[in-house]
Amino acid sequence: MKLAPITFLLTLTLSPFIQATPAVEELFTQYRQKGIQEFSADLGKNLYFQEFKLAGTGEIRQCADCHTPDLRAQGQHAETGKIIEPLAPSINRQRLLDIKEINKWLKRNCKWTLGRECTAQEKGNLLTFIQTQ
Amino acid sequence: MISPVRIWDLPTRFFHWLLVTHFTLAWLTAGDSRYLDFHVFFGYGFLGLLLFRLLWGVIGSHYARFSSFCYSYSAVIKFLTTPSSFSNLGHTPAGSWAIWALLFLGFLVSGSGLLTLGALNQLGPLEGYFNFAQGDLFHWVHTSTAWSLLGLVILHLSGVILASRIHRESLIWAMITGFKNTTCLNEQSVPQHPLIAYSLLLFILISAGGYFQGRLFQNPNYQPFPSPPLPQLSLWQSECEDCHLAYHPTLLPQRSWQQIFAEQHNHFEEDLSLDEDTLQQLKQFAFQYPAESNLTKTAWKTHSTLSSSQIPLRITQTPYWREQHQTIAWKQDSNFPAKLDCVACHQDAESGRFTAAAMRLPTATDFPPSR
Ligand code: HEC
Ligand code: HEC
Ligand code: HEC
Repeated sequence: MKLAPITFLLTLTLSPFIQATPAVEELFTQYRQKGIQEFSADLGKNLYFQEFKLAGTGEIRQCADCHTPDLRAQGQHAETGKIIEPLAPSINRQRLLDIKEINKWLKRNCKWTLGRECTAQEKGNLLTFIQTQ
Repeated sequence: MISPVRIWDLPTRFFHWLLVTHFTLAWLTAGDSRYLDFHVFFGYGFLGLLLFRLLWGVIGSHYARFSSFCYSYSAVIKFLTTPSSFSNLGHTPAGSWAIWALLFLGFLVSGSGLLTLGALNQLGPLEGYFNFAQGDLFHWVHTSTAWSLLGLVILHLSGVILASRIHRESLIWAMITGFKNTTCLNEQSVPQHPLIAYSLLLFILISAGGYFQGRLFQNPNYQPFPSPPLPQLSLWQSECEDCHLAYHPTLLPQRSWQQIFAEQHNHFEEDLSLDEDTLQQLKQFAFQYPAESNLTKTAWKTHSTLSSSQIPLRITQTPYWREQHQTIAWKQDSNFPAKLDCVACHQDAESGRFTAAAMRLPTATDFPPSR
């Protein structure tokens, strides 16, 4: 466990240099074509933790409901209880590899969490944040 | 002078008490699918014991032979009106009629049980010969004859107690020791036949050991009735199992799937956003194997207990599911599995079969509060 702080520091220092996967690169290119200039991991992080109040029932929802506040941890589907493997690409190498997958889930999860689809800007921010994890 | 004489040989007594044990245990394990393998074992044992009794009624010692308690109807009436006129150490005429009826009903119960197992559960030696509708009928016969048998047992017991009082001699004790008192000096004790009796007992114990060795020595995921897999579609699996178990299409009728796919953009607040091609393939699979395909008992029960106007969008709302799970004390806030977490309790949930005896209620240690 002595290694834990070191790995933590390493991840912190290296995170700005983490390579985007080809799929995410491709998505960034698409978003840029829509006129988005920059993507911010901080804004992505804010959105990830932002709490949204559901129109009808007033239920509070956020991405962390299913993916947990620590993206490196195993999550659990808030409605069905099904285990969700960690979202962080540093832990789960299967993440952010497939454009179709990413699009599908961002569409679904934004609708569920925010009550609407995310904008290209928001999606770019979210992906930028997730890939540093 | 009163002297004890043995009238019940050892095999007859063993038969009697083993039959009592099997009947009781089969009764206690009936109705809860978790224990179907136990129930079936005691059913087989019950039938086997009856068959043994048929044989012993022909080749056994004097009082065990059918010929020694074959009384006409008028003999029964005469006995009931003037009991004192009867003096025989073996079964009384009324008692013997109860025994004939018990044997007869016993065969009906175990026979219909075997038919139910083959038709409704598609298991056992009669698997595949009957359809589910016939299975429902067999099941009805099985339960009603079982209740009748219980009624008859109570009648038999009352008769035994009454006769014991009248003769001031416990007939139950006689069935344990084998001895009855007599004043007649030329009555001979029947032979014991211990070898046959102990062989019978040993045979049952060895069968039980073989039958339950999986339960006793194998892992907790042991399934007493392994069944062939159902048709699967990998696309179905990959599209559905991210959020929950990929519930097999046999769990809902076709009209429900129709509706679920029509509402795919508002699937319990989730947007499935399936593209046209995927949707078509999923629909085709669901329409090929809906509950109406009768691939499993669950499929048959699910649609045959639904009224045709009902379009359940949830498996957990179908009458069959609710009936099957009504005894479970669902706990909301603890780590007890959610209703939709079928895998937690059903070992074969992924296959879609939901075979009886492949389920268990999770214990506290399965779900430590830390999770
Ligand atoms: C209701 C539960 C739930 C919520 C809330 C949720 N997600 Fe997800 N998310 C899932 C599930 C389920 C998957 C697919 C699981 C898997 O692939 O193992 C998934 C997958 C993803 C993926 C795909 C990763 C990949 O490439 O495999 C991304 C990206 C994602 N979620 C982002 C988010 C973001 C951002 C939010 C908040 C807006 C969010 N999720 C909120 C349940 C949820
Ligand atoms: C994006 C997540 C998601 C995906 C993908 C998904 N479902 Fe669901 N499904 C849900 C949620 C959420 C519920 C409601 C759970 C609850 O109420 O606890 C549900 C419930 C159901 C139910 C009702 C269960 C019951 O008995 O209560 C069925 C049937 C069902 N889904 C079928 C499917 C099928 C078939 C697929 C694949 C084509 C699928 N689902 C894919 C999220 C999803
Ligand atoms: C908490 C544990 C638990 C969960 C979760 C659970 N079940 Fe069950 N289920 C049982 C038990 C126990 C029985 C046996 C009940 C009985 O016979 O008295 C049973 C019986 C059944 C049966 C009847 C089987 C037969 O042949 O007798 C079916 C079908 C079934 N469950 C389907 C499901 C489905 C589908 C799900 C998920 C949507 C599910 N169950 C979730 C515990 C559970």
